[in-house]
Amino acid sequence: MTAGITLTGVGKVYPGGTQAISNLDLAIEPGELMVLVGPSGCGKTTTLRMTAGLEEITEGEIRIGDRVVNSLDPRERDVAMVFQNYALYPHMTVYDNLAFPLRAHGLARAEVRKRVERAAELLGLDGLLGRKPRALSGGQRQRVAMGRAIVREPQVFLMDEPLSNLDAKLRTEMRAEIADLQRELGVTTMYVTHDQVEAMTLGRRIAVLSGGVLQQQGPPQQLYDEPANVFVATFIGSPAMNLLAGRIERDGDALVCALGDRRVPVHPANRAAAALAGYTGAEVVVGARPEHLTDSAGSPPDRPRLKGRVRFVELLGAEQLVQLELDAIPVVAEAGTNGLPGRGGSRAFALARFASETRVSPGDLVEVRVATGRLRFFDPKTGRAIR
Amino acid sequence: MGLARYSRATFLRELALILVAAVFCLPLYLLVAIALDTTAQSFKTPLSFPWPPHFGNFAQAWHAGGLGNLGHALESSLIITVSSVACLLVLGSLCAYAVARRQGRLSNVLYVLFVLGIILPFQLAIIPLYVAMRHLGLVGNYAGMILLNVGLLMPLTVFLYTGFIRALPRDYEEAARVDGAGLLRTYARVVFPLLWPITATAAVLVGIIVWNEFFVALIFLAGTRYQTLPVALYNFAGEYVARWNLVFAGVLIAIAPVLAFYLFAQRQLIRGFSGGVKG
Amino acid sequence: MDSFRPVAEAARGSRSAAVARALRLRRRRLGQVPWALALPGFAALVAFHFAAIGFGAYYAFTNWNGLAHSSWVGLRNFREIVDDASARGALWHTLELAGGFVVLTNAIGLALALGLNRAVKTRHLLRSLFFLPVALSPLAIAYIWGWIFYYQGALNRVLGSVGLSSLKRDWLGNPSTALWSILVVMVWQFSGLAMVLYLAGLQSVSEDIYEAMLVDGASPWFRFRKVVLPLLAPAMTVSATLTLIIGLRVFDQLKALTDGQPVGATETLALEVYQQTFYLLRFGYGAALALILTALITVFALTQLALLRRNEQRL
Repeated sequence: MTAGITLTGVGKVYPGGTQAISNLDLAIEPGELMVLVGPSGCGKTTTLRMTAGLEEITEGEIRIGDRVVNSLDPRERDVAMVFQNYALYPHMTVYDNLAFPLRAHGLARAEVRKRVERAAELLGLDGLLGRKPRALSGGQRQRVAMGRAIVREPQVFLMDEPLSNLDAKLRTEMRAEIADLQRELGVTTMYVTHDQVEAMTLGRRIAVLSGGVLQQQGPPQQLYDEPANVFVATFIGSPAMNLLAGRIERDGDALVCALGDRRVPVHPANRAAAALAGYTGAEVVVGARPEHLTDSAGSPPDRPRLKGRVRFVELLGAEQLVQLELDAIPVVAEAGTNGLPGRGGSRAFALARFASETRVSPGDLVEVRVATGRLRFFDPKTGRAIR
Repeated sequence: MGLARYSRATFLRELALILVAAVFCLPLYLLVAIALDTTAQSFKTPLSFPWPPHFGNFAQAWHAGGLGNLGHALESSLIITVSSVACLLVLGSLCAYAVARRQGRLSNVLYVLFVLGIILPFQLAIIPLYVAMRHLGLVGNYAGMILLNVGLLMPLTVFLYTGFIRALPRDYEEAARVDGAGLLRTYARVVFPLLWPITATAAVLVGIIVWNEFFVALIFLAGTRYQTLPVALYNFAGEYVARWNLVFAGVLIAIAPVLAFYLFAQRQLIRGFSGGVKG
Repeated sequence: MDSFRPVAEAARGSRSAAVARALRLRRRRLGQVPWALALPGFAALVAFHFAAIGFGAYYAFTNWNGLAHSSWVGLRNFREIVDDASARGALWHTLELAGGFVVLTNAIGLALALGLNRAVKTRHLLRSLFFLPVALSPLAIAYIWGWIFYYQGALNRVLGSVGLSSLKRDWLGNPSTALWSILVVMVWQFSGLAMVLYLAGLQSVSEDIYEAMLVDGASPWFRFRKVVLPLLAPAMTVSATLTLIIGLRVFDQLKALTDGQPVGATETLALEVYQQTFYLLRFGYGAALALILTALITVFALTQLALLRRNEQRL
């Protein structure tokens, strides 16, 4: 029977004084797959290991189901873990690797066989049961590692970047397999990765961490459309969101945003519209995703425009990514901070998505249409989204 | 590092191990305690430390004359060890360089022969060697002992170096070649410096073996003024039988150099034994 | 496409000889390391090991006394060894000592290694302490224990003070305890060596695997039996073989403490070789003893190596 995972006020301080995790609140529903994502050092793996019992919890509480597991050994927590480097027992066959946790718990031989064979079938390992890890490919080893986790039928799965050692193509395949498997088995899963694409595709919900602090959690699309701060805005989504420096001004009854020497109206339907009134005369950070900076083809003609000079064009076949020098000053978001912006020294290179038919070359002066309704605004001091 | 969890079980284990270590070190404690004692026949409790400590034993042991003289033996051991190790490092590394860098069956065969040389015990070989060296006037002097050490420990040295050199990328040698360096210059200036880690290990390992060697030294140097520390200690202990405080003072003097060396080179020594002997 | 293949192969055939020659010349020009460098080392190997052993083996079949000339006596030396009770005793003691040494040293070394392997704060210090005796002269260590085993020495005194006076005896002077006392000395000195070898072997149980076992729920005994021990197999091979060789050739401690006494109770092959060859000047007989010792060590060591290696492969 699977159970949910609840982290309340969890913190971790290392003996040297480094605070790895601060005041983390996370609730994973029973049967849900939640992805913890963030750059390296953000604390996601530490969180996973604390849940597994491989690291001490300095403050706060972790529950699996109803049980508080803070002081329990890994053995007693009824969790199964898939390690980044698989941690397969090198001297044992695949069968023995899969059987190990069951034998460790003293299960009868018949039951062991039944579970191992079922797991092997589920993961397509049938023909490999007699082989040793060194005779397996990366993808096969990864599946054995998963198999070892599922034979136990635990309450919770913990996965530590299980796909990061595979090549890109294999990764995409395995992603789908893991998603299917998890859905079929219905076991609560905490999944850690640094790859935001993986997070977006796998998780029912994702939690973005940076510097040991939870930045935002929610369904992937929500984080994409409505990032809570500059960090999430630039971390989620590839290519990253453009950040520009702007200033809010009044133009009669309406609000406009000055970007460089252009003024772009704040769309009344923009979620931030109401709150922006309080920023009149103040500077803000404006976020625009590449798909909201388009060329004239296929955009409504009344969209406000910005001028820019083309620096470089990336042909993607279905569309083009155009690197532009806009008038607006760029904003640089430092990774690992809480999204507080700094100032870029050089000219802004914004990325815009143009249709593939539009002919552009480096050096051209072009006009970019801005989907003002989709612009995001952030407070330049705190990095938080203005809503 | 997750498993650095210092649980209560770990604490108990550490305590147990410290106790075991304490008991384990008792012989060493006794060594020092008796060496500082005025008479070893004292009827005090077995493990007490003599107070006040009597350092006179050391002076007496040091000045013991004749075959038990430790001072001369120390000098002798030093000369023999340093010379043997130096020769072994040079000749052994050169030999290993050839074996390691040449591919093919011959080099594999040679490697196996050297390993065999390590396993084969020298008790049998010593007899004809003694005879031959006696003929050549090499018994009872430095030259003979050094030659013997070099010969006997060559397989171990070559074995240690070969493994290391095989794992060394050839890039540096090729670069030197392109730069116009000849073989010996390449070896001396480029390769040998890169061998520093294994040189340190080999030097320490072989050095300790030579320094402590007794059987061979007994046969070749006993009764001469070139006898090494172990032989001198043997004579010394024989002379002062049952005067344990003096004997122990002598033992302490004899092992002092190695003890001092151990303080600095212990990690190297440990690594040498565990790494060099593997595979 | 097929029509091209035979032509290519034929060309390849006649070219190969020329190519090989060109490669050899090229190799020499590119500065292939000359065999000359290996000459001194190889000469030493042959002279001091193989040739010497060969000659030594020859002596074993003569009645040489090191001075006058010798004559071939065939297997007479060996027959004498078989007939002589003390020679048989020496052989037996050699085996007993070596056997006990291998078992005890490895058991203690393994236990220490397992204990020191993780998380113990003082483990570097403890490791250095246990390993220290390995670096010291066996002779020096023998003398220390000589006093401990002495009738008025530490062991008996401690026994007396805890009320076990009945257990006091002359440890080195009593034929039934002398050999085992020597064993204690040897085990004390070399347990640290086994420990260090096993510690190195335990490195192969990576942190990852250890954590996986914890999460999988294996008890400490289960972990040891199923994962740690099998992964230690290579280290066990090295340690067992090394300790066997050391155990069979032990000399220093015996010479210093008992020199074969009492009543030949601690006589071993190595001691006998020295005694017969360099004291009694029976070079031929001594060589025969040494030949047996050599054969013993070589056979045992190689057999053990082969057996343990096979065990490793199976895992």
